[in-house]
Amino acid sequence: MKRLTLILILFTVFLAASAQKYITKNGYIGFFSHTPMEDIKGDNNQVASILDISTGDIVFQVLIKSFHFDRALLEEHFNENYMESDKIPKSSFKGKITNLSFVDFKKNGIYEVTVEGDLTIHNVTNKISIKGTIEVVTGGINANSKFNIVPEDYKINIPDLVRGKIAQNLEVTVSMKYSSM
Amino acid sequence: MKTPVKIALAVVLLIAIAGIGGALYLYNLKPQDLNKVKPHFVMTSADLQKAFETDESASSAKYINKIIEVTGEIASVKQGEKNFINISLRTSNDLSSVNCTFPSSDTTFFKTGSLITVRGICSGFLMDVLLKNCAIVEGTK
Repeated sequence: MKRLTLILILFTVFLAASAQKYITKNGYIGFFSHTPMEDIKGDNNQVASILDISTGDIVFQVLIKSFHFDRALLEEHFNENYMESDKIPKSSFKGKITNLSFVDFKKNGIYEVTVEGDLTIHNVTNKISIKGTIEVVTGGINANSKFNIVPEDYKINIPDLVRGKIAQNLEVTVSMKYSSM
Repeated sequence: MKTPVKIALAVVLLIAIAGIGGALYLYNLKPQDLNKVKPHFVMTSADLQKAFETDESASSAKYINKIIEVTGEIASVKQGEKNFINISLRTSNDLSSVNCTFPSSDTTFFKTGSLITVRGICSGFLMDVLLKNCAIVEGTK
């Protein structure tokens, strides 16, 4: 009986702890590059992310090879020449919502948040701070953000010959639909 | 102009046109339609997931960038962003699936609980085994 009580207590604690964590394995991250010569976009609908609403911790992981392009040659160049995805298959972000108290997770609505943390692309880690929104909806949480990154900050070398075709600042779009873990 | 010179010019011109044509063709080439190519591997979603769970590095070397035809039960169907559909196929691990992305917005053929066979290019393993640019082979269609 004691054992059963212990199991029940542990189970309750586990449930309480897990209710704080939200997960998605089909989050979206896309990037867009606009120059007068060419528009390039890559879309990835297989981003894994976990959000802990009790601490504000948020992590993202993405496989570089999961990015989809309209044209096969772009995908090849992206993987082989720029991201070297055979050697460096993943990118990740690990950070925290810094104004967590602004978000009422019990009340549906859209809340402006700031997220700070480490963004690792191409094995180079940079501290970033970005603005985004947390949307509390019935049965889940959505997170959205748009920010810019500079390829050279992540030691992604773009040859002079094609530099004019790729924007200095790439626009990154993040869209997550979390459900309770 | 002498005839040999004319011929030489014509040849150069032809090569140039072929070159430009070839470059344009490559430049505009769409991602492969996987229904028109043979898969490298044919297996169940459970076996594919198990392979990555047991030995990720060996399975990465074996399956990444390869076309895999996989059969499994649909655990969930989700509308992704920018006209993509995500489906996950059940495996023997409840926390890890085979996650397939289709460049389409038509969910007609995807029904939770039914068996489906899809072809996709393996991009590796996160929490799930990821397949992209998928096409339906048979099943609910």
